[in-house]
Amino acid sequence: MTAAAIAIGLLQVLALVAIAPVVTGVMRTTRARLEGRFGPSPLQPWRDLRKLLRKERLITEQTSWIFGVAPLLLVASTLVVVAVIPSVATTTLLVDSVDLIGVIYLLLLGTVVLALAAIDTGTAFGGMGSSRGMTIAALAEPAALLAIFAVSLRAGSSSLSTIVEGALADPAGLASPETLLAFGAVAVVTLAEAGRLPVDNPSTHLELTMIHEAMVLEYAGPDLALVEFASSLRLTLFFGLIGTLFLPWGIATTDNIAAMAVGVVAWLVKVLALAVGVAAVEVGLAKLRLFRVPELLAAAFILSFLAVIVSFFLR
Amino acid sequence: MKAIALSIPFLPAVAGVIALSRWRRIASWTGVTAPALVLVGGAVLGLFVAKGEVVEVFDGLVRVDALSAWMILLIGIVALIATTYGVGYMAAEVAQGHTNAKGARIYYALVQGFVAAMLVAVSTDNLGVMWVAVEATTIATAFLVGHRHTRASVEASWKYVVIASVGVTVAFLGTVLVYFASRHGSGATMRWSELVSAAGQLDPGVMRTAVGLLVVGYGTKAGLAPLHTWLPDAHSQAPAPVSALMSGVLVSVAVYAILRVKVISDLTLGPDHLRVLLLIAGVASVLLAGALLLAQTDYKRLLAYSSIEHVGLMAIGAAIGSRLAVAGLLLHMLGHGIAKAVGFCASGDILLASGSTRIADTTALLSRRPATGGAFGLALLALLGFPPFSLFASELAILRAGFAADMGWAASLTAAGLLVVFGAVLVYGQRMLLGRPVTETSWGSDSRATMVVPLAGGLILVAAIGVWMGPLQPLMEAAASVISS
Amino acid sequence: MTDGALFRFLDFAVGLSLVCGYVALWRRGLVAIVKALAVQGASVAVVAMLMGIYEGHVQAVVAAGLVLVVKAIVIPRVLVGVIHRTLEYREVEPLVNIPTSLLAGALTTVIAFIAGRHLVALDASPATRGVPVGLAVMLLGFLLLVFRRKAVTQVVGFLMLENGVALVAFLTTAGLPLIVELGGALDLLMAVLVLQVLARRIVRQFGATDLNQLVNLRD
Repeated sequence: MTAAAIAIGLLQVLALVAIAPVVTGVMRTTRARLEGRFGPSPLQPWRDLRKLLRKERLITEQTSWIFGVAPLLLVASTLVVVAVIPSVATTTLLVDSVDLIGVIYLLLLGTVVLALAAIDTGTAFGGMGSSRGMTIAALAEPAALLAIFAVSLRAGSSSLSTIVEGALADPAGLASPETLLAFGAVAVVTLAEAGRLPVDNPSTHLELTMIHEAMVLEYAGPDLALVEFASSLRLTLFFGLIGTLFLPWGIATTDNIAAMAVGVVAWLVKVLALAVGVAAVEVGLAKLRLFRVPELLAAAFILSFLAVIVSFFLR
Repeated sequence: MKAIALSIPFLPAVAGVIALSRWRRIASWTGVTAPALVLVGGAVLGLFVAKGEVVEVFDGLVRVDALSAWMILLIGIVALIATTYGVGYMAAEVAQGHTNAKGARIYYALVQGFVAAMLVAVSTDNLGVMWVAVEATTIATAFLVGHRHTRASVEASWKYVVIASVGVTVAFLGTVLVYFASRHGSGATMRWSELVSAAGQLDPGVMRTAVGLLVVGYGTKAGLAPLHTWLPDAHSQAPAPVSALMSGVLVSVAVYAILRVKVISDLTLGPDHLRVLLLIAGVASVLLAGALLLAQTDYKRLLAYSSIEHVGLMAIGAAIGSRLAVAGLLLHMLGHGIAKAVGFCASGDILLASGSTRIADTTALLSRRPATGGAFGLALLALLGFPPFSLFASELAILRAGFAADMGWAASLTAAGLLVVFGAVLVYGQRMLLGRPVTETSWGSDSRATMVVPLAGGLILVAAIGVWMGPLQPLMEAAASVISS
Repeated sequence: MTDGALFRFLDFAVGLSLVCGYVALWRRGLVAIVKALAVQGASVAVVAMLMGIYEGHVQAVVAAGLVLVVKAIVIPRVLVGVIHRTLEYREVEPLVNIPTSLLAGALTTVIAFIAGRHLVALDASPATRGVPVGLAVMLLGFLLLVFRRKAVTQVVGFLMLENGVALVAFLTTAGLPLIVELGGALDLLMAVLVLQVLARRIVRQFGATDLNQLVNLRD
């Protein structure tokens, strides 16, 4: 890889890492303002992370090595995905080593590792959170994979750069039925995997209603900082993935500085717009009762299934 | 001639409108005049078309050939019996408090509408209009089945409307596909006569699907197994004259629709295609009806299952397809229609007298009410195929045709089923009819003349046809040649 | 409009009717199910209109207007009236749970596409490409009819069956002769009115429209 390519790749990684907690902060602020409160500043999550990193590392004696390793694995797998997805430009550090299916499974790896760590603690809430989390992950997987299959069928390959270049070359195809259906499916999967309403309430304090939060109840200090950082990074990644697959305008395809600047601005606009939009919609939603979450995920599966059917039969 | 053909469906329609607005007595007797005029018109048309002519009006919207004329005659006779009986039946129902004058007026209007829809279905060349008319019969009979507003009748009418409408919708898809096939054949047409002459140019793949859908759809309306589940409920909950019309004629109209489809299918796909389907459905209906008749506790449901068995027999006749089988099938439609009408009307009498439809509650019918019991018993004998009633000849004809056409196994199975039905109906029949009355409760005096005369007339007609067909013979042969040419 | 744009709209309308079928299988609220039916009726009307424009048949455009009024406005209004009259607003415990019925719907859609192949083969135009979708909508309506308990849902299932057949009719033949369309629309309206009255009677007799209670008549 050329030096320019490495520089662009590093730029994308740094941009994502820097912006991720801000995305979470923006969502909290939007929600607060819409609810009539003043709310914290969007930079508050960075301050929280700084506070947590300075604390002492506390781990219970009842856990095995998995509990300590899990936050590191989580952040590592998420960072690999960060290095793969084209967000600002189509050339990234690892762009053709991992295709779209691999991206989904890397994200799933993070979920599995966290669930294992939660069971490792042996507490009731940890077990409950991980069983709920794995159920949702298991039901969301087929929907996500079929949606990716539909998108890849359209582009002819599951390699991310090919998909983005194909989408840029044929913008009218983004309004085709199969893309709209796949978008719907990926949107629902995003809400499920990232733990947002209506699947999971990230700001709840009642343990029996928690899914993701229940899995991280036992973490404290630097470990908690890593886990929180990884979860905002995942959320930003999902938004970025939606932007890359379904709204690819502005991505830099060439090496020059102007294109890069446009790319950065476009990506920021897309991710922040999605964040504000999702937060605004969340204000009006109530959390679904747990037995109705499979209904939602089955509907997402049907959307992606229809996307595949449409792309096969209505060509 | 054209005027007669045009006016035939309108007569009951006009009678229905009169029934809605007029005083009950006038309504009921107009209701009898209309079928009588239809019968006369049908007879005139029958004489005309038996020579092979066809009456066409409005570019095929109304088209009466020999088969249509046969059906018009059937509808006319059965409607005459049912409406004449219905006058007395409705009067008794109002007197006993089961319904009021407004309910009676609605009843008369709906019955006339029902008859009008059936007449439209059999006298049109346009497959689409035939479909519309068959669906209209479901709508007209929906409230008739639920006439008494009881729990059981509401349940029966809901099941009936949903299942029959779903079936007819499936038939609609078949009709659409036939139109589609014709578009790529010799030109888009809905007219049966044009489809028959252009049958060679219709795409076999599409037609296979279309014909299957049409048979399943209209078969639901006819009560062929396994789509028969609505029939016992609907025919047993409806008032007796309505059951007579539904069991006697409506199922035959549905079989008529299947026959029209069969003619096209035989020309496009060869006679073997529908043969298997109809044979399986027919034999299954006969065997199923026989099995379920063994454990009946309700005499109206008994008659309804007997209808399923006879429709199965008609389907077998259609499946065999030879001249003898088709002639037997047509004769069977006529004989079964009249005999079933008499049977249901007599059962209405029993219900009015005893207040219950259970077989166990009905004993010593012949000694308590000779006229009713006699009519019911003779109707049962006719339905079992005893000579001299015409069903003997028609059943024998179909079975003989089955053996002659190398379908001996099907004919044997059918004969076995008929034997089971024979035994079951005889057992229940003699339980109901014979013996001395055990309890002293009186069932009132015997039925009025207006209620007995149509039953007696029907029985005499069925017996007469069984012996000598007379002027009906050339019409039947012309109708048979429409189907099996 | 150009042929290409017309076929894009056609594909969109056809796809929308299929999605509406799935929405009806997915939702529990009876009013939402009726709204899905209304949108499906409107998309069928759009298909009819577009096919009429494409083939130049005036009767298809007239039929489109008829379909729009009857299937998208009048009938849903009648059904919502039934819902308010019987005071039953949701399908609390369907016979088959919702994820399973959605999966069954997916299976029947595959079957519909396989079965519709040789229909498309007869006349492979961009319009008849959508015929399997019509069959799929029919099967979805049938599933709705069978898998649910409430009377209104059964009626919606039956109407969806009709919508599927209408879709196939408009896509293959740009509409049937007008007299058949008129008769069919009238029949449909009458059937729904009949079912409305029967639903009222069911409530009066049984207290609720749980169709699983209608099991008194049997052998």
